[in-house]
Amino acid sequence: MDSLFSQLSVLGSSLVLLFGLILLWRRGISAYVGAFAAQSMVLSAVIAIVGYFGNDHELYWVAGTLFLLKGLVIPRLLRRMERRFAVEREMEPYVNTASSLVVSGLLVLFGYMVTRPLVGLSQLPTRAGMPLAMGLVLVSLFVVISRKKALTQVIGFLMLENGLALLAVLGTYGIPLIVELGVALDVLMGFLVMQIFVYRIHETFESIDVEQLNRLRY
Amino acid sequence: MGYVLEVAQAALALALAPGLAGLIRWLKARLQNRRGAPVWQPYWELAKLFQKEVVVSSNASWLFRAAPFIVFASTTAVTFLVPILAVPLPFDGLGDLLVVVYLLLLSTFFLSLGGLDPGSPFGGMGASREMTVAALAEPTVALAIFALALAAGSTNLGQIVARTMADPGAFLSPGHLLAFGALFIVTLAETGRLPIDNPATHLELTMIHEAMVLEYSGRYLALIEWAAAVKLFIFFALLGNLFIPWGVSVVLTPTTVAVAVASLLVKLVVLAAVVAVLETRIAKLRLFRVPELLSVSFVLALLAVTSSFLLK
Amino acid sequence: MSPFALLLGPPLLAAVLAAVVVPYRPLVGWTGALLSLSSVGAALVFWSRLLAGDVPTSGPGEFLRADALSTLLALCVSVVGALAAWLGPGMGEDDGYEPAQARRFRIFSSLFTFTMLFAVTANNVGFMWIAIEATTITSAMLIPLHVTKASVEASWKYILIGSIGIALAFGGTVLGYFDFVNMAGRQDAALHWTVLRASAAHLHPEVIKLAFVFILVGYGTKAGLAPMHTWLPDAHSEAPAPLSAMMSGVLLAVALYAVMRWEAVVNATVGTGFTDGLYITLGVLSVAIAAFSLVIQRNYKRMLAYSSIEHTGLICVGLALGPLGTFAAMLHLLNHTLAKSMMFFLAGRVLHRYGTTEIARVSGLLKVMPWTGGLFAAGILAVVGLPPFGLFVSEFALFRAGFSVGRPWLVALILALLAVAFVSMIGHLNRMLYGVPTAGVRTGEDRLWPLIPLGLCATTLVVLGITLPAPLETLLRQIVAIVER
Repeated sequence: MDSLFSQLSVLGSSLVLLFGLILLWRRGISAYVGAFAAQSMVLSAVIAIVGYFGNDHELYWVAGTLFLLKGLVIPRLLRRMERRFAVEREMEPYVNTASSLVVSGLLVLFGYMVTRPLVGLSQLPTRAGMPLAMGLVLVSLFVVISRKKALTQVIGFLMLENGLALLAVLGTYGIPLIVELGVALDVLMGFLVMQIFVYRIHETFESIDVEQLNRLRY
Repeated sequence: MGYVLEVAQAALALALAPGLAGLIRWLKARLQNRRGAPVWQPYWELAKLFQKEVVVSSNASWLFRAAPFIVFASTTAVTFLVPILAVPLPFDGLGDLLVVVYLLLLSTFFLSLGGLDPGSPFGGMGASREMTVAALAEPTVALAIFALALAAGSTNLGQIVARTMADPGAFLSPGHLLAFGALFIVTLAETGRLPIDNPATHLELTMIHEAMVLEYSGRYLALIEWAAAVKLFIFFALLGNLFIPWGVSVVLTPTTVAVAVASLLVKLVVLAAVVAVLETRIAKLRLFRVPELLSVSFVLALLAVTSSFLLK
Repeated sequence: MSPFALLLGPPLLAAVLAAVVVPYRPLVGWTGALLSLSSVGAALVFWSRLLAGDVPTSGPGEFLRADALSTLLALCVSVVGALAAWLGPGMGEDDGYEPAQARRFRIFSSLFTFTMLFAVTANNVGFMWIAIEATTITSAMLIPLHVTKASVEASWKYILIGSIGIALAFGGTVLGYFDFVNMAGRQDAALHWTVLRASAAHLHPEVIKLAFVFILVGYGTKAGLAPMHTWLPDAHSEAPAPLSAMMSGVLLAVALYAVMRWEAVVNATVGTGFTDGLYITLGVLSVAIAAFSLVIQRNYKRMLAYSSIEHTGLICVGLALGPLGTFAAMLHLLNHTLAKSMMFFLAGRVLHRYGTTEIARVSGLLKVMPWTGGLFAAGILAVVGLPPFGLFVSEFALFRAGFSVGRPWLVALILALLAVAFVSMIGHLNRMLYGVPTAGVRTGEDRLWPLIPLGLCATTLVVLGITLPAPLETLLRQIVAIVER
């Protein structure tokens, strides 16, 4: 439990979760994009560490792909979108900041409870970080539900995927490579489609506030 | 022998505290390209204040006169219970984490009452703002140190230091780091530093601590300012000795005590420099944003507790 | 040539063709329509092979596999895909779509069909996941074929909620993989469903239960189960008719297929009690929400969408009622696919004529378009579960199953909710069918030949309502054997 590998993986997982909390604290989209990029870079570092200590060289490919895709390409696309919608800050989300932070703390606790059987079952030295990954998943879900700007919801979704990737890496040293690549492709496609839609929303509604999307009821 | 050391510890705290406040002020001045008042300026200020006449509002009651003494007394009492130079100490049996938190809260409480008592608008405003900050900050102090206590198996502060010294690897554990982050933010809140409160301002829009003590003068003001400096000293000592306890003496010999004093001074100077740089770089938060920052520190402390508890 | 190539190849080919041919020509549409029949043929070949007792597989390590459950779904997907190819925009007639829109439709609907077919024949649950995520992407591109505020809103909700659901399903897949790996070590075939099922008895119960919760919530979002259903009425009502038919008819079924694959593994590990409880909770909630929403509906496409939610809930409840219930649920899935796809195509015709989706502004349908109106009425009667249509038989079997496992109160509750839905939908139907035709609407059918395949659907429903052909019964029995212990 106290080996360097275990410590580093838990440290990395904590950083990943903390970057996720920035989504609840700060208000500007550029802060969110920066937090997401940093989170993805730390995540790829964690994957590389697991690859090194776990003697699984396929994970270096996964780490590289993730770094490129989510650490560089997607943040660049997000920043381009942000420049177009620069005037829009997440002013008043559905749940205010202080309550959001407290709720996220409780969600992380809930994540710990939920992953008790997993941590008990696993023998890997990285198992201690799994509750943090689950916490990130729950916090990202909360972000999507409680924020009003479409772009924030997209970033929340991307962080959800980061959390699941972290869970997979910590729990099983990664899923089979071919599946991993398919997943990465899907993520990229999904993001591109979402990007198209955010632009569409902006064109059609003159704003990316999802509260405007209220024509369809019942 | 231990009791002598306790008294010496408290005396050291009282003696060094104004210097610490002066150091931070001097560093800020240097960073802002000013010459700044010398580091021991607060000592002259305290001496001056003790000689000055006390002016008390006619609306004030006994509470107004008693509050400075209570504040000073409780803050000094904490210096007996916090590991500054050595562990274990004889008073460790009397006070652990919870007693320390309560004593600090006692001083905050009476300071607020002292601010409310004369009935001036600034005092009331400062008191209410201080309570808002304290409501979030005090539980965070308890939680952050509790995270360490969980890892160490006891809420006795001396024990916590001893356990951390015995297990250097624990320093990198997420529980420790998160607790350090939480406690650092709370230190800024409790001691009235930027970005929560500006210790150098007297503008209505921005002051919290200064507003509460606006009505005080003479020796009362001296006691309160001294107590504030001692509080700063206590928090820095906690930050330094709980998380990076190397240097704290475990056996009471002259060399180890000397080493302890030296390491304490180093930690204080480093922390003072960090705070000075921080104060120069960031702007004060708008008042309604302060609870958000404190919620962040609360969540960090909560995460620290869960980490320590569930990762043992 | 391998039947798998005949199943999966044509839609992919049709998509590539539509992408390559610029500007769009109706020839592309006709080619795609003809190719789609090949997929139907391949599905029928699988069926016959299964009747002979042989499970077709293909590819290295049994990459593609068509057991009974896959075959039933493949049949449904290919039939509805063929309907969409034949009746969709871009067949050279004036149907209100520009060539660019028709081209987009052809590309993405073919890709959509391909991804669904791949999802039901992939043996690897990881690839099944990838395919279902791809269905979200391809279908989302088509919803705003006409760009309006409402369609943009609907497609945004669809892609956001759908992607989140899929991400949670991925979490469940990871957890299942985690369980297997902890038991048996890492293998390349670890994510193959056959391997998971075979080793299910040794999996850790708590972990697999947690995995199933994620799977049910995740894939259940795509299936339209409450409380994750909020995207469905919007998306299905704003999408163009052929896409709505595909989504309501088969996409929901494919999502349920994914859940059932995992259910088979979980049932083999911890018995049926755990999955039964979850199914009943979500199923009843879906039926209840749908039934009560149907009462206040003012838009007939949304009405059909809520009916889809109701039937998905029914299928879920059926899956929780033992072997007989699973049999009934799968029969119901087949019937619902036929009925709902037909309904959405008919709704498309009504919309094209009347120019509005509001029930209040559609009246005198029988006088304006007698054949369409007649089939529409037949469809609604089928969907509410009246004889002589197939849905009556499957619902009746479901109730019998409920009594046989000792849940009479559940059956009573479902009956009550179905009665609410019945009354609402018949009421809306009456308002649309009878009365004075809306002013300014041309009388007489436009093109009669699209009604032929839709009429065939209705006839099949009647046939299924009267009898259960032996090959179908064998197929359904095989499915029950896969899912139950």
